[in-house]
Amino acid sequence: MSVLTRTPQFHIARLRGRNNEGVLLGIIALLLLLIAMFSPGTLSPAMFADILRSSVVNMALALGVLLIIISGGIDVSFTAIAIFAAYSTVVLMRSIGLDNGILPFLAAAVIGALLGIINAVLVAGFKLQTLIATLGSQGIVRGALLAFVGSVYISSLPSALAQIGDARLTTIGGSAVSVLVIPVILLAVGLAVVLRKTMFGRSIYAIGGAPESARRAGIRVGRVQTVIYIAAGALSGFAGMVHVALVGHASPFELVGTELTVIAAVVIGGASDAGGRGSVQGVALGVVLLALIQNSLVRLGVPGFWHTAVVGVVILLGVAIQAQSRRRRSKRSTILESAVTA
Amino acid sequence: MSSASTVAPSFLARVRRTLDAAGHTGNLGLLLAGVIIVFSLLNPSIFASPLNLQSIAYAVPEIALLALAIAVTMSSGGIDLSIVATANLSALGAASVSIALMAGGVPGDAAAATGIAVALTVGVGCGLINGLLVAKLRIAPILATLATMTLFSGFAVAVTRGTPLYGLPDAILALGVQTVAIIPVSFWLLILAVVVIWAVMNRTGLGLRIILVGASPEAADYTGIRRSRVLLSTYALSGAIAALAGILMSARSASATAEYGSSYLLLAITIAVLGGTNPLGGRAPIVGVGVAAIVLQAISSGFNGLHISPYIYQILQGLILVVVLVVEVRRGRLTKWITRMMSRPPADGAALAASTGAATPLKEQPTPKPLTQGSHEHD
Repeated sequence: MSVLTRTPQFHIARLRGRNNEGVLLGIIALLLLLIAMFSPGTLSPAMFADILRSSVVNMALALGVLLIIISGGIDVSFTAIAIFAAYSTVVLMRSIGLDNGILPFLAAAVIGALLGIINAVLVAGFKLQTLIATLGSQGIVRGALLAFVGSVYISSLPSALAQIGDARLTTIGGSAVSVLVIPVILLAVGLAVVLRKTMFGRSIYAIGGAPESARRAGIRVGRVQTVIYIAAGALSGFAGMVHVALVGHASPFELVGTELTVIAAVVIGGASDAGGRGSVQGVALGVVLLALIQNSLVRLGVPGFWHTAVVGVVILLGVAIQAQSRRRRSKRSTILESAVTA
Repeated sequence: MSSASTVAPSFLARVRRTLDAAGHTGNLGLLLAGVIIVFSLLNPSIFASPLNLQSIAYAVPEIALLALAIAVTMSSGGIDLSIVATANLSALGAASVSIALMAGGVPGDAAAATGIAVALTVGVGCGLINGLLVAKLRIAPILATLATMTLFSGFAVAVTRGTPLYGLPDAILALGVQTVAIIPVSFWLLILAVVVIWAVMNRTGLGLRIILVGASPEAADYTGIRRSRVLLSTYALSGAIAALAGILMSARSASATAEYGSSYLLLAITIAVLGGTNPLGGRAPIVGVGVAAIVLQAISSGFNGLHISPYIYQILQGLILVVVLVVEVRRGRLTKWITRMMSRPPADGAALAASTGAATPLKEQPTPKPLTQGSHEHD
């Protein structure tokens, strides 16, 4: 049967990639080509640096979301967790007079992990639907941040943290590339390895693909879910700190509201909303694609009022294409199965 | 002995069903009374004053309608996250058409009627787009409606260039300020809408099909229900309800904008769930949702009167949403456990399976869903 599936579409299937990564690369190349044709001046090294900069925070956030979407859930609380962790770390640093460049990132990750426990308890403990559970925790976390931690804009960060945020790794075409790209890339690579090479990573796919089968295969679904939600919380907290360091101020009203862009990047990157699919590479391509589109809208002079609508159309297309290809895939396999049994 | 053991579960099941049908709304009524009493005691001079109660009645309809739109889609097993964007886009449609008509010399009432018709058309149109994405393209409702939320609100921003529209016809503005027998016109409209939506969901074939699709899509397929057609109608209905909410929102604020009510989504879902809607589908407690909207608005108003931060209210919304569902899950498990204990004596598996099957509430049935979906994922 495996011979049957492989022979005719071997090359195309190979190019397409497991999660449509090839298609995404093609779309990105096509977009770059279009930009080069219609506005050749904009295709500069500086543009790549800009895209890289605007992708860093989204990529860090997307890693946590990827974990959860692979496991068959969805998370809308991660931006609230991110900004809660980052903002309260800055508030804490100011109140105890701590000035350090590395600790705040760890502290934010720890706070994020603690907040992730809320989601873990609701999803793994009480078996709530993930959308509803994380919607509830979003309200709780955001409300707690604004009511108890603070609702004022902090315009200056502790100096060591501000330095990290301004530190350049290199400069491409006059645009700076922050050193914070490095930890995000390391985390992405680390997550990719965990997902592909470890028992734990494979259990996440198993849970997302078929929870009941995973349970019968001996995977402790509740335990894996608990770890995922706590890890996603830690990643969100870290991402929130990256955001704060990069923008150079701490505002409790930022990040919340950008959930959709991140979720869209993950789904466009091939993670199936039904669970069991998705890869770090795909997510990276999804994040870059969305950043490229937003960036080129500005560069091509599309009026600002239209940006949200265009991004909405792109997200819809991406989601629709993924849904279609998934359907085709499942249809193909059932046809072949019936052919074999007949 | 066997007769007693089979009677017990079916009796329990019946008790459970009646409790589920009437009891939840009854409990909500008690909760509402409790909330009113507590805030009246805490803040006697302000909370129970007719003026405050009237202001609650002015604020309830728009959010109650949004929650009803959520409840209708939830009962089909989906969700419509684009309701607020749909409401704003519909209100903008109504505002721009009626303003343009009035500028062209059309009398205000006719312009208002046309505007409302336009709003409902826009709402149904948005709903049909959602329905097509969910039913035909098989995109998960969460993702499809998240995307259309961006699309609709992006479109609204693009069309208005981010500025609000003023100068609505008096007939629309009247919906936001006038009363009939002390009760605001908009609240009467809400009552009418609740009756109509209740009738659609509980007394028509469409409503039954929506709930069946929500309870078990596979069973619905085997029954010969055209699932995609039912889902299209569900989302169109939700869009129409959202459009009505949009009209009331613009009437109350005397303007239409792309960004009104951004905090309403969490609130609407909380109300729908508190009202007794099962996020997994299969239940449509329309009256309960209406009462739940009043409960939450009363809490919000009571907090305001006591100068409690609106952020605390946000925490409370999240807590209510989560706690209601946790209690639901627990209660379901408890009654299941009790029925199992009572039907323990007959040792033969068939009777046991039959009795637990009968006692299993409707909402528990969709559990095998992920299994079947998941098995398709692996090729």
